[in-house]
Amino acid sequence: MEIKDRILIVEDDKSIRNFIRAILEANNYDVMIANTGTEAYSLITSQCPDLVILDLGLPDMDGVKILKQVREWSGMPIIVVSARTHEKDKVEALDLGADDYITKPFGTSELLARIRTAIRHSRTTYLSPEGGLTGTFSAGGLVIDYDKHRVYVDGNDANLTQNEFKLVGLLGKYAGKVLTYDFLIKEIWGPNMENNNRILRVNMANIRRKLEKNPTQPKYIFTEMGVGYRMLDPD
Amino acid sequence: MQQLQKRAGRKFLPEIIKNCGITVAILGAATVFCFFLQNFSPTDTHVPLLFVLAVLFISRYTDGYLYGIIASMIAVVGVNFVFTYPYFAFNFTITGYPLTFLAMLAVAVIVSTLTTQIKQQEQVRLEVEKEKMRGNLLRAVSHDIRTPLTSILGSATGILENYDALAKEEKLELTQDIVEEAQWLIRVVENLLSVTRINGDSARIKTCEEAVEEVIGGAVIKFKKRFPQVNVEVEMPRDVLLVPMDGVLIEQVLVNLMENSVLHGKTTKEIKITVSQAEGRVLFAVEDDGQGIKESILPVMFEGGLQSREGEEYDSKRNMGIGLSVCMSIVKAHKGNMKAENLDGHGARVAFWLPTEGEE
Repeated sequence: MEIKDRILIVEDDKSIRNFIRAILEANNYDVMIANTGTEAYSLITSQCPDLVILDLGLPDMDGVKILKQVREWSGMPIIVVSARTHEKDKVEALDLGADDYITKPFGTSELLARIRTAIRHSRTTYLSPEGGLTGTFSAGGLVIDYDKHRVYVDGNDANLTQNEFKLVGLLGKYAGKVLTYDFLIKEIWGPNMENNNRILRVNMANIRRKLEKNPTQPKYIFTEMGVGYRMLDPD
Repeated sequence: MQQLQKRAGRKFLPEIIKNCGITVAILGAATVFCFFLQNFSPTDTHVPLLFVLAVLFISRYTDGYLYGIIASMIAVVGVNFVFTYPYFAFNFTITGYPLTFLAMLAVAVIVSTLTTQIKQQEQVRLEVEKEKMRGNLLRAVSHDIRTPLTSILGSATGILENYDALAKEEKLELTQDIVEEAQWLIRVVENLLSVTRINGDSARIKTCEEAVEEVIGGAVIKFKKRFPQVNVEVEMPRDVLLVPMDGVLIEQVLVNLMENSVLHGKTTKEIKITVSQAEGRVLFAVEDDGQGIKESILPVMFEGGLQSREGEEYDSKRNMGIGLSVCMSIVKAHKGNMKAENLDGHGARVAFWLPTEGEE
């Protein structure tokens, strides 16, 4: 018998719950449902689902609280679903450890793609505890060689500087996931450079000029306006 | 209310300095003028009158009652000290002195009251105007929402109630309609959210230096998701261009403009976005090869088919008013501007510019 991934849907709206459950079951996932935050937390601790789809607006508590609680002891993939559209909510959820953030309204194909990415990502990080910083990453014509500290586009060395490599490396390590501006700045330049958006924008612009044929229609690194950057899913 | 207080608190000190400055300057000017007149006129009768005038001006140009009253007191005492006999000494025994004092005080209080009232009325008028705009927007939106909702409801109940009677293709077609109409609704709502962002808590947008290519890239990806068949070409300077803006809002503007090109240009196959830089501005132009914009709509299109709904174009199909008026208010909030024109051959060009220098 095939082992299905188990997904917990935490959502208080019946019709949204229904349609998510329907498409997930149609796509071979095992589905659990929680209506409230307390119910969700007890299911998460007792059942350890492979992925949690978490609505932030719950009747009994703010979904952010569950996110924080779970992140204290587990790195299980959590996708936050919310009707809050302001980027600062997205950034908050991502910085608190959500793997992804989907804004209502969303399409089913989008949801399924995010679920696949999040599950795959949790698997790969489980396999290599150092976070996959050795070996290579490849997506489309882009190859990141973590051992040699080189990035190749269609076989040609992109000649990235050290910081540029660090940025691309980081995005590749978390490919498919949006990394927030603050996270990237902290990782590359340290905590003192916080809020210095300019340096990040300029570096990304330079990277784009080295990696992308057309910087305004990127193929590898995408901008999530107001939130951060995301690398194309690996092959 | 709270927010108003906060704003008042933040602006408190500069306000005081400004008002004191005005008071001192006007009183000073009156004094200098009186000294000047003393050379020509042997009498002092003009002095109190000039100072009444000064108090009037002060009451008019400062906020609240306080400055006018203070000014009138200074004026009364000062006039007594400087311009009445004995010069440069106080003499409170002059006949009619209390009367002068009372008259000046009365002028100050009355003028301050009047100007404050006028200012309040102005405020009320602005509020009313805002309310009116909101009402118009609501009306336009409910029109824009009702049509797709009707279609969604109709298609869905159609499928539910006639599930067995309908052929599979018909059901698919109806479901496809539901999807399209829902997507339309999403766009309406997104535009509305943008408006609330501008009129939101601070009435000012929060800008941050964004790379123009990222904003355009994001907009093109969003647009392409919906119209994969339309070719988008981008032409911009090779250098990195950082412009202070609210990236999400400007992205929305670009998406709106591109979608309008397709929805209203009808025959649009190709869209070209051009970015150029000139004297403290960055110019974004969206050109299409569609049917162009009707000459009658051109002058009013940004006011948002909200007030004027003449012509079948507005009423029959969803109006482009909301999208465009949202674009306009976003650009205006950035202290930029926007204009539209028809291209010589065919197609239309909508362009907006943003200042490259952030204020403050």
